[in-house]
Order: sequence, then C-alpha cells, then structure tokens
Amino acid sequence: MLKHFLTGLFTAGLLYTAVAQTTFPRNGVYDERTGLYAFTNATIIVDPQTTLQNATLLIRDGRIEAVGTSVSVPAGAVVADLKGKRIYPALIDINSDYGMPEVKVERRGFFAPPQLESNKKGAYYWNQAVQPENDASLLFKSIPAKADELRKLGFGVVLTHPHDGVVRGTGALVTLADDRENTLVLKPNVTAHYSFSKGSSGQTYPNSMMGSVALIRQAMYDADWYKRAGNKEQENLSLDALNRIRPLPAIFEANDKLGILRADKIGDEFGIQYIIASTGDEYQRIDEVKATGASLIVPLNYPQPYDVEDAWDADNVSLAELKHWEMAPMNAGRLAAANIPFALTTAGLKSKADFWGNLRKAIENGLSEQKALEALTTVPARLIRVDDQVGTLQKGRLANFIITSGNLFSADNVIFENWMRGKQYIVTNKDVADFRGSWNLTVGAQSNLKLNISGKSPDKPEYQIQADTVKITPKVTLSGDLISMQIQMDKKKPGTTRLTGYRTGTTMKGEGETPDGKVVTWSAVRTGDAPVSTSAVSATSTTTASTTAAMATSTTATVPGSTTATILYPFVGMGNAQKPKSETVMIRNATVWTNEKEGILTNADVFVTGGKISKVGKNLPVPADIKVLDGTGKHLTNGIIDEHSHIALLSVNEGSQSSTAEVRMSDVVNPEDINIYRQLAGGVTTSQLLHGSANAIGGQSAIVKLKWGESPEGMLIKGADGFIKFALGENVKQANWGDANRIRFPQTRMGVEQVYMDHFMRAKEYAKTWSTYNALNAKAKTTAIAPRRDIELDALAEILANKRFITCHSYVQSEINMLMKVADSLGFKVNTFTHILEGYKLADKMAKHGAGGSSFADWWAYKMEVHDAIPYNAALMHRQGVTVSINSDDAEMARRLNQEAAKTVEYGGIAEEDAWKMVTLNPAKLLHLDNRLGSIKVGKDADLVLWNAHPLAIYARPEITMIEGAIYFSLKDEDRKREQMQAERARLIQKMLTAKAGGASTTRPAPKRSRMWHCEDIEGVMVEGEEQRH
Amino acid sequence: MKKLLIPILTLAALTSYGQNPAPARPQTKTTALMSGTVHVGNGQVIPNGIVLFTNGVITNVVDGTIVKLNLSDVEVIDVSGKHVYPGFISPASTVGLQEVGAVRATVDKQEVGILNPNVRSLIAYNTDSEIIPTIRNNGVLLTQAMPQGGTISGSSSIMMADGWNWEDAVLKKDDGIWLNWPAYFTRDFNFDDFTTVVRKDEKRASAIEALRATFADAKAYAALSNQTPMNLKLESMRGLFSGKQNLYIRADYGKDIIDAVTFAKSVGVQKVVIVGGEEANRAVTFLKENNVPVILSGLHRLPNREDEDVDLPYRMPGILQKAGILVGLSYADEWWRTRNLPFLAGTASGFGITDREEALKLVTSNTAKILGIDNLAGTLEKGKQATLFVSSGDALDMRTNVIEQVFIQGRKVNLDDRHKRLYKTYKDKYEQK
Repeated sequence: MLKHFLTGLFTAGLLYTAVAQTTFPRNGVYDERTGLYAFTNATIIVDPQTTLQNATLLIRDGRIEAVGTSVSVPAGAVVADLKGKRIYPALIDINSDYGMPEVKVERRGFFAPPQLESNKKGAYYWNQAVQPENDASLLFKSIPAKADELRKLGFGVVLTHPHDGVVRGTGALVTLADDRENTLVLKPNVTAHYSFSKGSSGQTYPNSMMGSVALIRQAMYDADWYKRAGNKEQENLSLDALNRIRPLPAIFEANDKLGILRADKIGDEFGIQYIIASTGDEYQRIDEVKATGASLIVPLNYPQPYDVEDAWDADNVSLAELKHWEMAPMNAGRLAAANIPFALTTAGLKSKADFWGNLRKAIENGLSEQKALEALTTVPARLIRVDDQVGTLQKGRLANFIITSGNLFSADNVIFENWMRGKQYIVTNKDVADFRGSWNLTVGAQSNLKLNISGKSPDKPEYQIQADTVKITPKVTLSGDLISMQIQMDKKKPGTTRLTGYRTGTTMKGEGETPDGKVVTWSAVRTGDAPVSTSAVSATSTTTASTTAAMATSTTATVPGSTTATILYPFVGMGNAQKPKSETVMIRNATVWTNEKEGILTNADVFVTGGKISKVGKNLPVPADIKVLDGTGKHLTNGIIDEHSHIALLSVNEGSQSSTAEVRMSDVVNPEDINIYRQLAGGVTTSQLLHGSANAIGGQSAIVKLKWGESPEGMLIKGADGFIKFALGENVKQANWGDANRIRFPQTRMGVEQVYMDHFMRAKEYAKTWSTYNALNAKAKTTAIAPRRDIELDALAEILANKRFITCHSYVQSEINMLMKVADSLGFKVNTFTHILEGYKLADKMAKHGAGGSSFADWWAYKMEVHDAIPYNAALMHRQGVTVSINSDDAEMARRLNQEAAKTVEYGGIAEEDAWKMVTLNPAKLLHLDNRLGSIKVGKDADLVLWNAHPLAIYARPEITMIEGAIYFSLKDEDRKREQMQAERARLIQKMLTAKAGGASTTRPAPKRSRMWHCEDIEGVMVEGEEQRH
Repeated sequence: MKKLLIPILTLAALTSYGQNPAPARPQTKTTALMSGTVHVGNGQVIPNGIVLFTNGVITNVVDGTIVKLNLSDVEVIDVSGKHVYPGFISPASTVGLQEVGAVRATVDKQEVGILNPNVRSLIAYNTDSEIIPTIRNNGVLLTQAMPQGGTISGSSSIMMADGWNWEDAVLKKDDGIWLNWPAYFTRDFNFDDFTTVVRKDEKRASAIEALRATFADAKAYAALSNQTPMNLKLESMRGLFSGKQNLYIRADYGKDIIDAVTFAKSVGVQKVVIVGGEEANRAVTFLKENNVPVILSGLHRLPNREDEDVDLPYRMPGILQKAGILVGLSYADEWWRTRNLPFLAGTASGFGITDREEALKLVTSNTAKILGIDNLAGTLEKGKQATLFVSSGDALDMRTNVIEQVFIQGRKVNLDDRHKRLYKTYKDKYEQK
C-alpha cells in the first residue's frame, strides 16, 4: 500500500519512461515508432498568455520537443501543415468520475431497521462514509465511449475520483486515450477528496449535514491520534490512509455556496486549504467566498428557463429562481472579476454536449476568453500540482493538444483533432477535400447551371443549383475527391438525373444518366467563392475571427443585462440590494416597555447609536442629521427572543445515535430561509437554533440574530455561551417511529437515564485524562502521548465544567426529575427545560435546582406525553420562581410570540409586564445574554421593535424591527419592496418568454415546499401531521 | 395479549383520572343577561343590551337604554361591563373525532377507501372528549365534525360542545358531503430519500372523470325512490342534488377552486362550499360570480410561497370579505388548538378588517350561513337558539378573552375542564406549603 502510494508521489519523473518499453507480451512483430510529428504554419496558443503565429510544434514520443516560430523540422518527422488552423493545449477537468465504479446508493427507507454499524468488512474506520483508503488508480477502468465524449469537447486529461463518502480517498490523473490502463493513468494519488455526502453508505450515521461535518472532523482527529499512538493499539487502514493523503492537494465537493464556507471552516481547523468544487451559485455570496481564500472548481450547469406562459403557474417560480436563471451564466465572469482562482469542470452538466454552449454563454456574460482558457488548462494543472506535465504547450510537457479551425471559443470553431501523449484522435476530419465555391455546371447539353457549394466548414458543405431563376437542392455525396449528385431538374416533374465524377483542382468531370436512361457527360469549373448566403455569413466571420489576434483579450467587461441583474442579500425575493447598516436613530414619544425597574414609560424617547441603546428618557435632545422615528401612539419594546427555534437551518436532527453531542447547528445555519424575514415582521430579533429531539443528547445550538442578508457567521452572536440540546421522552425512545425502530438504545425512559450516566462518566474520565496531560511541563509533553481528541466528549466535558449549557426537550415530570438528579450527582445544572409541559408538577424542584422553563403557551394532546399539558404551566412555574420563557418551536408561531405571551395573562393571570418578559428578558436570561439583550437599558444592544398597538394585543403588529440599530423590517417599506419585486419579476418573465419562443426547452413550474423544521424532523423528512412533531 | 392490555389499561387510567363535568341541565327559567355589550354577530353591537332567552331560544335582544322589559319571573344576570357573544362556530373540525394524535386508538377521523360519502362523522363523535370543555371555555360552542381521507371522505354534522351523547349533541345531522378535489399540483413523498416532490398531477383529468361518473350515477339514483337493494353510497349523496346538503370541496390553488366549483355545478350539485381556499384571492371574481362561500383554513399559517407577502394569510379574510364573498374561518385539523379560533378572527381584524364586529362575523353569522344553520345559530337575534357566552373582555383577543358564562341552547354549562382541574390541583399543592 505504502509503496504504491510513494510510487504515485514520485511518478512525475517516471512519466518520461519511453513508451517503447513494455512488460506486456506481444502477439506479432515489433512495431514501435518514433512518434515524431511536426505541425507547421499553425497559430499556436502555447499557454493563455502566449500565442505564436506561423509556428511549429514538434513532438516526439508523446512529449513536446520544441515549439516556436523558428523550429527546424528534423528528418523523419511526419509533417502536418496547419495553415489557418490553431493548436491549443488540451483541456483538463479535475472533478471527474471518469472510469470510476458507479456509486450505488443504499436506500434503506424509513421503515427499514437502522444500520448502526459499517457494512464494509475489514480493518477500516468505524464509519462506512469515511474511505480515505479508496484509490482512484486502483478503481480506474477506461470507458471508451465516455472518453470519446470528453475528447470531442477538447479534453485531454481528467482528474478522476470516486464520488463516494465524506472522505473519498485519492484522485488519479488519467488521459482520455483508448489504451491499456497502464498508459492511461498518468499519476495516481494526486489529490485527496472530501464531501458532505455519505454517498453509498447505508449506515445511519451521519444523516444530517452537521453530522457529516462532525464525522470528517472526528476522523481527522482520529488520524492524528492514530499516527502518534493508535497504530500501536490497532491496525486501521482508513486512518493510516487518511494520514498519508493529508499532504496532497485536497478537493472538497460542496453542495452550494454555503457549503463552500462550511468546508473552508473545516479546513481552517486542520490547517488545510481546500480546493472547493462548487455548484455555480457562488456569485450570490462572492465576498464571503473570496474571503475563504479557496480556489474553486466551477461547473457550467445553468437552469433551464421555466415555462411561464401560464401566469398563475408561473407564480410558483420564485424570484430567486428567475434571477438565478438569468445570472447563473454570469457566475464564472463574476468570479474572475473578483480574482477568485477557479478551474472549470464538465461535472454537473446534464449532458456533456452542453459544455461549449454553456461556456460561450459564460463568455457572453463577462468571462474573458483568456480566463476561460486558464480555467481549463493552467489553473486546474496548477491546483493539483501537475503543471509541469500538462496545461501548456511548453517544451517537455506531454503532447496533449487540440487542433482547431479557429478561435476555440467561437461558436463556429471546429475541433479537428485531439492529441493525447502524441497519439492522434480525429474529432472532425480536417483534410476533407474542400469543394466549396461557385461552379459553372454543364450536364450534357445543358450549360446554364450554376452550382454553389457553401457551408461553414469543408466537411459540412451545403449545395444549391441555380438554373436561371429556379433553385434546386441536389443530393450530394462526397468521398475524397469523388462526387456523386442527384438532381431533380424540374420540381413539378418526377425524374432524377444522377451524376458521378471526380474533382481535379478547379474542375470536376464525370458521367451520368438522365431520367430517361440516357448517358451524358458532365463537367464543372470553379469560378470563385460561393456567394454569401446565411450560412456563408458565419463561415466568413470564422475567417475574420481567426485572422484577428488569436486570444481575444479584449472581451469587454460590460455584461448584457448586468445593469439590471442585481444580487440580493440574501438571494431571496425579499432580500435587500444592500445589507442594512446600523444607524443613529431617535425614537420619540413612544410607550417604552423597558423590562427594567422603570417599567413602562409613556411619552419616552430612546436614542440609538453605534448599534446600542445610548439614552432612554423624556424630551431627549435630537441631534441633527439622524433618523427620527415618531413613536406617538406606539409601543417600543425589545426584540422578541425565541429560545426554541428551528428556522434558518439546513437540517435539524442528527437522529442516528443516542448521543450526537459533537454536531453543531452553527454548521448548518441557512441565512436564506424566508422565515427569517417573516419572523422579523413578527418582531423576533434573536433565536436559539436548536438541534432536534430525536436523541437523548442532541447537538450544539447556534444562537443567532436574525440579520437578514448576513452570512451564517455574521448571524451568530459572537461570544455567546455554548448551549446543547438534550431530549427526553417519546422521541428519544422512538415511541412513535414505527415498529422498525426498536433497535437503538434506549427504548424506555429507564434506558435514557443510563445513556446520560454512561456518557457523563466517560466524559469525566476523558476530561481527567486531558487535564493530566495538559498539566505536564513542556519537556514531559515531548515524551508523553497526547490522548485522543473526541469532539463528542469535548462537548460533554464542557457541560461538566459549566462551560456549556443544556436546553432539554422535556414533557413528563418523572424524567425531568431524573435529569436534575443526574446533573446534581455530577455537579452541574440543567440550564433550561424546553417545552417542559409538566413543569408545573415539579416547579418547586426546578426552582431549587436552578433550571429555567421555556414552554409553549397552550399546546397539548398531540401525543401521549403531552396529555397533562396545561396552559397554566407558565404561570405556575413563574410563581414558583422559575425563569419562564414562551418559545415557538414553529416557524409560524414565532411570528406571533407576543400573542403567545399574552396567553399567560389569560391563563393564570400573569401581570402584563411579566408576560412580556417571557418572550424577551427571560429567554435572554436563559441564554445568558441578559447582559446585552432583553431590556431597554443604556448600553444594551439596540434590538428594538416599534408596535402599532399594545404589544400583547392580537391587533398589534411591528412597524419597525431593528437589530443593533439597523432596520431589518419596516412595514412602510413593504409596498416599495413589493413593487420592486414585481417589476424585476415581470422583466425576467418577459425575458424567459423570449427564450422559450427562441426554442429553449423549459422546466415546468411547481411550488416548492420550503422545509419547516420541528424537533422531530429527520433530515429531509417533513413528517405529515402535527401529532408527529414537537 | 400483553400488547393489547397496555392501551386498554392506559385508557382506563385516563378516564378515571379526568372526568368532564356532566352536561348541563335544560333551561327551566327565562334568563335575562342585563346591561352587557351585546355583539350581535351580524356587524351590530348594542352597548347596553339585554339578551332574553326562554326554553333555549332567544326571545328578545334589545337596547337596555331604550326598551324596558318586564323581568318578573326572570332570572336576571347582571353582565354590565362584560361582553355577550353568540357562540363561536368551528367548521371543518376534528374535535370529538380524535383525542391524542399519536395514539392511533384514539383517532377516528379518517376511514379507508376512496369514495366514502356514506361514512358519517357524528357516529364517532365522542361527547366525552376532554378537548371539548377546553374549546367552549374560549367561546367555541359549535363545531362541524368533519371526516377526512379518500376522495369523498363522508358526511359531516354540526355538533354542540355539550351533550350526553352524539344524539344529544348534534345540532344538524349530515349537513354536507366532503370532497377532496384532485389537486393540480400533487406532492409525492419519497420514503427512500425522504424528499418531497411537488409536480403537476398527470392523472388528475382521469380522476376528475371518475368523479364525474360517480356524481352522474348519484344524480340518476336520486331520481329514484325506495331503491332495493339500497346503494349506501349513492343514497347518501341525494341531498346534494336537492340542495339539502352542502358539498364541501377542499381546494386551495386558484385553478383547483375554479375547476372544482365548475365541476360541482355541472354535475347538478346545488350548494358548494370551498374549504381551505389558501389561494382563494386568485379566484375572487369567479367565486363572487358563482356565489360560492369559502371556509378558510387556519389563518395562523405561513405564506405558501417564499415571495408572497408575509402577512397574506392574515389578510385573506379581508380580501375575500371586501370582494363580497361569504367567508368563515376554520381551525382545520388542529383539533386541540380549536380554542384559539376566536384569535383567528382577531388576527383578521388586525390585518385588514378594521371593524371588529365585521371580523366577528367570520366565526359567527358567516359560518352559520355557510353551514346552513343560520336559523339556529350565529347571531344573537330573536328566534335563534340561546347558544352564547359572556366574556369579561374582548373575546377575539387572548389578552382579554376570559369566558365567565356559557349557555348552549339556554343550558348553563359548567366551565370546568381538565386544564383547570390540573391547575387547581397543583396551585393547591404549592399553596399548602
């Protein structure tokens, strides 16, 4: 294994091995040739910066021996005169699966029993999705038809790898020739490959995006440990391989623009700068993508236009989809303009045949031809460190090149030949006899005929015979210089004259037969070029293009439609053209709910500057040039804080194992979820994005501000304490998951306690091991072996050290009591019980323990464990001294949390100010953020909502929602926003209609169901029926 | 055997734990609610009104500042400073048909099969459901027990939130048949990769043709009398063609609404109601022209599309009402949340219907008209049943919705419920300390 790998690393030199030597027995006589070819009089594009006119390319034994304008052709060379033609370096695709086995995805279905362990037998990693041991060169089997498809496009070599698993093993550089694999594999183990998709693995873990992230991270740490100690304990071929592939250029396949940021974050943790295979939507977040410093591998897969002929059906196409249709072809150009290095790939194309058409669209939309050529030659070669072999036509490089009729990027260009390591593949015969021209045709006695042969290239001639004013299209077959024609002289009369003959220079001669069987002689004399017809126009432009300077570096930056094609932050219809910014604002004369001892102030002013509340009082002086909001008759409050939310997430449950403390919701924050904006419209400014409740120990929370348009990182509250989701009850024991799910421990509440005890005891041991190690002095550390880093136990150890805090999904009193006892016995506190619908039964115990309660106002009856839920729960807990908040767990209800808080007034008679605190100050306390959120106090964040009425009234709605002084929602601006959206929509729909009329195939519009997450939803599942949730 | 025992025992434990209060006794004495703010339910409000009812029927509703009544031998209840409302009506409801969502044994809302017009919801209606007291305690006094599932789900009945058994509790039997309109867009859930695909339903046309045949047969059958042997399915559809029964069609998308109504008229159905109607705003002209009422699905939902106005669902009743369409509000399938129905009307008032009395109609008189019970319920008017309640404040706002007295057909209802009992139990526990 190791030997093979080393061979790979140092093959570079071995690539020079003479082709003549072979280990294979021969059936026949020795027939090795010099492979010496000279291509003369060509326009040679040596590399994207260098073009030589009238130059010669000399190759020998599959390598370039010389290139230049004064190369002398040695004796024994086969000479090809390429006058008027061009030679380009062959193209390179570094995200290919060419020759790899098909990835068969094991779909087990929801009702199949879970596969908890790996099905890959052998001394491998515990998880089937981690396969660093896979080696593309071992898996590679050439597929001539697929090679031919890529050759025709101009590709010479590809980097291929198995697209299977989160760690996928190594890629191999292979040529697209038809030959034994021994000569096709140029270099094994060129790159290491990663992704977020578990591929063929049917193992339950991971079943979420954040699980994939955690699995990669843990595998990396395990490999570290294996290197320093683990290899003495066990043989693990996967970890061994992971260590070996680590120095290689690493390619991470991301699933969208956010995936680029996510992948890069993993890379940062391990000091790896991934090259990231992206999906074509990077233009939507170009600043953040650039900030990663990653080079990209960019596809050219553009969406089809939608069929928008039916106005109602067209409503199902979102503005974001319409815009993406328009802007996807601008992606590459915008990346180039932003100086983000990228290679282009054919991956992601529905049909490889779309490649050139789509690339030309990219060029029409702002990508320069030079950048395009770089992205297909020098950049990919450099990224995977094979630029000493391929990518340019410099001396010593492999003889991988293509011969074209003209500018490679021109629509009229024809690729004639694709040479691979000095071996010729004919794509289009360049040596077709050129019959094109205007000919005087004489058939027997008839001499008034004019034969016009036109067409954009010699191999695609078009024929027309003109007899006086009559135009006849003959049927013609060419073979070399032989020609045969069938002519129906009179359209009205049946009867075909058949002619056969040959061409010599500018004359044709032959014999034929008239319809009545008479043998006649015929001849034709070329009189000049064919007259300009429609098709001849394009032929002319080809000629013009090829006579101008070879590489068009002059492609202008003006993009068609670029003035109207604007980015939105986020890229959603309701996004903003500019991200909102903090302003200096005075809110005057409002009823201000301070949540402080001052209570509710009437006719008060609040001054906001630098994102903070800087003054609260009456008749404050108003500085000049600031924004003033009139609060007369209105109520000003803090922004609502939702302690339990699952919006703005790409997935919610890593429900595969009883503990997944290692997963982080911060890895899956989705800033494009429209529910962010909808909740701003309901006055929410901060949400705790929780893992689901599918397991006893869930994942780590992400606490975000609803800064619509920011990046995932930009939404996270910096410096906030870390939280983690725990869960109890029916979901954890899979009570409502059907009969197939009776395997995972625990299946009872008894087992749940043991899961906690077991994990915490291990975490305690783990923490002790580390503290012992960390206590060693520097010298001792050099000889001691560091323990294995376990990111699951890290999180649990943080809980034990009071550095991470629990929010526990809970309903029934027995188990709530249990968790408090577990915590007491280990010396930590349960920070918050969420849902906590039976909290009222043990509110005294909760208060004593110090746990808060974050509850629904009035939910019950959807499952057995909520049968005793009562709407008086909040009131009873509150009166026992529990810090109570009201949460949503629901994207819709979060828009009305003010109303849910008001229910505590109805049920249990909570004072209105206290009721209001249940959705503001109290959740801030539960999240340890009350030092900066939750009340209107000088120095706190200016997260404010201006309501049109008493905020607890059902008739109230926010008019302004502000986060840190930036206005993220303004009721007044809604109409303007709507008009802009409509105008943009109308423009794009008209454009789409034109595209359809122009013959583009279209996609049928269908409504999208955006994923609404609740506690119980597994990746991708929208569990039908309310009773299955929460 | 063991498996079977567990649910039985569980159920036994439940019933013994919480007992709903006994149904109320019939009204024996004429009652007068004096000096309250009377919300008639038809848009009118009488600030200092008197509501008089005898034997379960309203005998007079008058302005107390103008009319003086002889109140001898009348039980006078002073409700000054309080509000009197007609009982709220929750159409398209599964209250009484399901108890605990995740416990299959307690769910009776959906029969198997495609065409079940003969299935009757009132048979499964459980008057002992612990949900019922919780909804009447927020003013929801009538529900329409609605069957679900298949294409034709069955027939619904209008139930009162009080009664010893379904015969007692029913206000109107078999008021209509429920049809799930084959949707223009269908959702396919793929259990293999957990994805949902929404696409145009290619089989829709044939599904509609099959329905057309069923309705044609039913109509022909309706012309016969005393058919033996009786065809239960066709027999149950008779009322659709005579106008005795509504055809409730669940449809949301604009095209579906238009298709569904056109279909119903073409097959001879007399009264059509659109239920759901999430995109009824696209078909207002059509609905108005055809005089078709709409029962909207729960307003407290998200917009259907990313680009829709964030408050479109909240504004929908206002949009339809303004166009002259008769609109009622439902809590759809959220049976255990039905007590929040009044707040849907409150929301409609916060978003478009500025006159709160107009918003009130969405859960009272409008719904009564749509369900065909406006001769019995929906307003506080002479001759209607005395199904009404007294709230200390605005009943459409949770901040002030505190129901103090409830009368169903004049019977004074005990306002105890499971939640209040548990509240009291634990309040007492903590106060003992």
